[in-house]
Amino acid sequence: MGKDSLQASYDLFGLSHEASMDEVEGSFRELRNLYSEGSLATYSLLDDTDRQEKLDSLREAYDRILQSHSHPPDNEVSSERGEEHFANESQKVCIDADFQQMPGLFLQQTRKALGLSLQDVAKRTKVRSSLLQDIEEQRFDFLPAPVYLRGFLREFARMVNVPDANTLIDAFMALYKNDKERQID
Amino acid sequence: MTRPMPVETPSVKPYVWAIGGGKGGVGKSALTTGLAMTLASQGRRCIMIDADLGGANLHTFLGMSSPEHTISDLFRDPGKNLQDILLATPFDNLGLISGARAMLNVANLKHLQKEKMIRQVFSLEADYIFIDLGAGSSFNVLDFFIAAHNGLMVVTPTPTSIENAYHFLRAAYFRKLRHVIRDLKVEALVDSSLDEKEKVGIRSPRDLMAEIHRRDPAVGEDIDRAMISFSPGLIVNQVQRHQDRNLGKEIALACKDFLGIDVKVAGAVRTDEQVLMALNSRRPALSMFPQSNFAKDVRQIIQKLGLVAEVRDG
Repeated sequence: MGKDSLQASYDLFGLSHEASMDEVEGSFRELRNLYSEGSLATYSLLDDTDRQEKLDSLREAYDRILQSHSHPPDNEVSSERGEEHFANESQKVCIDADFQQMPGLFLQQTRKALGLSLQDVAKRTKVRSSLLQDIEEQRFDFLPAPVYLRGFLREFARMVNVPDANTLIDAFMALYKNDKERQID
Repeated sequence: MTRPMPVETPSVKPYVWAIGGGKGGVGKSALTTGLAMTLASQGRRCIMIDADLGGANLHTFLGMSSPEHTISDLFRDPGKNLQDILLATPFDNLGLISGARAMLNVANLKHLQKEKMIRQVFSLEADYIFIDLGAGSSFNVLDFFIAAHNGLMVVTPTPTSIENAYHFLRAAYFRKLRHVIRDLKVEALVDSSLDEKEKVGIRSPRDLMAEIHRRDPAVGEDIDRAMISFSPGLIVNQVQRHQDRNLGKEIALACKDFLGIDVKVAGAVRTDEQVLMALNSRRPALSMFPQSNFAKDVRQIIQKLGLVAEVRDG
């Protein structure tokens, strides 16, 4: 079953299972932009539910492939993901992430504590929900250039009433910069 | 993804193109005129058919005054056929069959009349025929679109145009699918799949085909084979913003990925004031401004469609 779902993940990106991680990432980005709310090319093609479902399945597929690249394919049932789910369930309103160590998670917890969905925040900040999610999950590869990112973080932080927004933004930007530098090496 | 359309010099004569896309005012007639005039100037015999029954004005794009014969002649005199009402135009190699004017009821062609007309289109003497369809997704429009060897959809970078285009594409796809399943005599299977639409989550042609394949793989393959010819081209017209240059590619990707329909990008045409200037002086943009962006973009489309081998500028 594990193998099938991995192949299905590649299928979703229109790629063979021999595709490189770069190709997977490229296709993931492309499709995610295509199905994002503001996309002109898919205007009226999908309703909100279908759109969200599509985006979720792309993200899941991407994670599954990413994991199969870093782990041997037989322990495929993602333990990380399981924990993440568990965590979400049990601490709905608990904000325990260190906002300097894990600023993304801190934003997510703060948002959830306010009972806001990503779409709610997207609507009010005019920042795409997929981008907000990337911020929460600290997916640095998918985040835009620093000058834009700073603005998005500010909007996000303001919307969920982060008390010391500047410190959080600086911490996030530092992590972002570290990640970029590590990639260059 | 970028393989050219399956035509060079037409192996079938005449090779019939139908230009549609749902929304009015997106430039179907201007592009039809541009494509046909360009090919005609390169020595191909072309005929334009104005099938915008009820709102025909292709003659104006060619700078011709009120045409003597139109499609409405066919309804007045059942002995006449399309060849009889073919008009010469001021341009070499280019003929025009003008749409009916001031006969609003003609927009509701009777089924038999429509079938007869479609047959006559394919027996016209020409290399290429371009049928300019009206707006909307009525059966008349759709039937010409799917009867042609190939369809071309014209969209502009606006939500309204995109919305109508998806509606048009789905409608044309399902119209063609109806024909195919009727010919294969598999209505029962398809209908029962559609009946369970909600239960099995069919939201697109792709989902429907997956369900048919699941129920009966052999029938699924037969249908796939018959539907393969449904692969319209896509032209993005009136492109102004840089980011809209990729719109065609994105729409094609969404059509493939979400709908399971193969749409081929035929090119983009930039907004060009000279088109309007030409129209206002009742002359074709192509002959008045042969070096305009419009003329260049149209020539690129012709190259992309594989209609002629050499194109002077590119």
